[in-house]
Amino acid sequence: MDNCRNIIYSKVRLSRNWNEYVFPARLTDEQAKEMVGRLCGGLKDIDGQLNMRYDLVDLSEIGELGRRLLKERRVINRTILKKQAPMSMYLSDDEDVSLVFNGADHIRIQVTKPGFHLGEAWKDASQLDDFVNARFPYAYDQKYGYLTSYPTNVGTGMKAAAIVHLPSLALGKKFPSLITDMGRFGVSIRGLYGEGRENYGAFYEVSNQKTMGLTEQEIVDLVGRVAVQFDDQENQVRDMANKNHRLIREDEVYKSYGVLRYARRISMKEAMTYLSQLMAGCTDGLVRFKESCDIYQLILGIQTAGLQSRSRRPLDKEELDVARAEYLREQLPELV
Amino acid sequence: MLCEICKIREANVQYTEVVNGVKTEHHFCSQCARDLDFGPYSAIFDGEFPLAELLSALLGGETPAQKQDKYQQIVCPTCGMTYSEFVKNSCFGCADCYSVFDVLIHDNIKQLQGSDSHRGKKPVYQNTGGEDTVHPEAGGAGSGAAGDVPGAAGDGGSASVEEQIAALDRKLKDALRREEYETAALCRDQIRALKGGAQQNG
Repeated sequence: MDNCRNIIYSKVRLSRNWNEYVFPARLTDEQAKEMVGRLCGGLKDIDGQLNMRYDLVDLSEIGELGRRLLKERRVINRTILKKQAPMSMYLSDDEDVSLVFNGADHIRIQVTKPGFHLGEAWKDASQLDDFVNARFPYAYDQKYGYLTSYPTNVGTGMKAAAIVHLPSLALGKKFPSLITDMGRFGVSIRGLYGEGRENYGAFYEVSNQKTMGLTEQEIVDLVGRVAVQFDDQENQVRDMANKNHRLIREDEVYKSYGVLRYARRISMKEAMTYLSQLMAGCTDGLVRFKESCDIYQLILGIQTAGLQSRSRRPLDKEELDVARAEYLREQLPELV
Repeated sequence: MLCEICKIREANVQYTEVVNGVKTEHHFCSQCARDLDFGPYSAIFDGEFPLAELLSALLGGETPAQKQDKYQQIVCPTCGMTYSEFVKNSCFGCADCYSVFDVLIHDNIKQLQGSDSHRGKKPVYQNTGGEDTVHPEAGGAGSGAAGDVPGAAGDGGSASVEEQIAALDRKLKDALRREEYETAALCRDQIRALKGGAQQNG
């Protein structure tokens, strides 16, 4: 969708619990192992669901680096990364669809779609949800809906998120207060990369704050509305800049490309900043690559665990910066 | 800066030690810091993240202390979770916790979620005993909404007969209140059938 060019991807997550077991926090390791085994076994005919192939991943076996890699690629969350208990996951070939067993809840269904496709992500997640429910009855209450470990997820058990790229909007003085104000509409916005109060690259996740009292479609609509609003504002600012200050914009984008393409060592902050500018330049048609290049994939690739797993050993900060620059030189195609 | 110990994660704990007037500075990540012994300060790293505590305080409600004391003793019979444990972690132990602690947490959930009743999707393959007000949009997104036959005789079969009767009874009253007599009659007949079946079995 051209008019939603700054919405990088859409994500829907559903939290469910099987009514035969207590929630993960109270499961012994043995019970957890049994439950995970039964869930994996019961769903082993998952191949073909949503027209995809799935691999079974034992999350406790792949170690912390493996899990950190999955977290960087936004397949799992922090809770699953840190958790020490039997956990497994069905992961689709393209990593867009995952079912995690025994995370914060028994079953965590996640569907990610590139671009702005929240409605479709919800539809797919719901279809998988039915696929699971046909085999495993859920903990469900007439009043409270789907029962979850945390009261912050109860009801629909749904989190709908849109990841937006707002490099120009984020420069504005009013941006921080705008983010705070959004809370009043029932959505929360958080920066995806950065340290402390500093944001690298201006990627933000818009998601619903509440999980009860709204239908899933209403949640999808709410998050979508805010994401589109952000996208629209960003477009207005960028179009104006492209029109009135084209040379400055082009200079920014080409310089970013130059640094990324030729640097010998590059920190996370630098790499994120330049990739963000290059992404905006590509989106606006200021630069064109000879081969197609998904800059978002590069952003995923330059994170710590990704670089470490490529070099197959732990790297210190200096080595990481060198590996990051190497990776970018290798991956960035030439310009037209 | 990377953590001195693991050299993997970003250091976010700065530890300054002064021994015999000699000052040394260390930089650790929170994970490695947790494994070190900082004596009385270790407690800082024990909590997973401080937000959870903030949430706990809200959920537990800063209500009068006496009220708290009285309820501290409530224990969920299914999973053994006590109310104070719940307040501490703001995490439920099992599905039954919701009904066990219902009186205590109802208002807080309402405050947290801005609502106290679920309006969205229902499990398609189990009898939730509920009234089927599946919203067209929500149903459309799922693969076929649960039928709109009241109390559609469950293929989940998880709910006991008593539960089904209770659910139907609720639905019956609700239907009467809204003057939907056809639905009410249907519920009444189903309750009769279920009761008849129960007697035969007993």
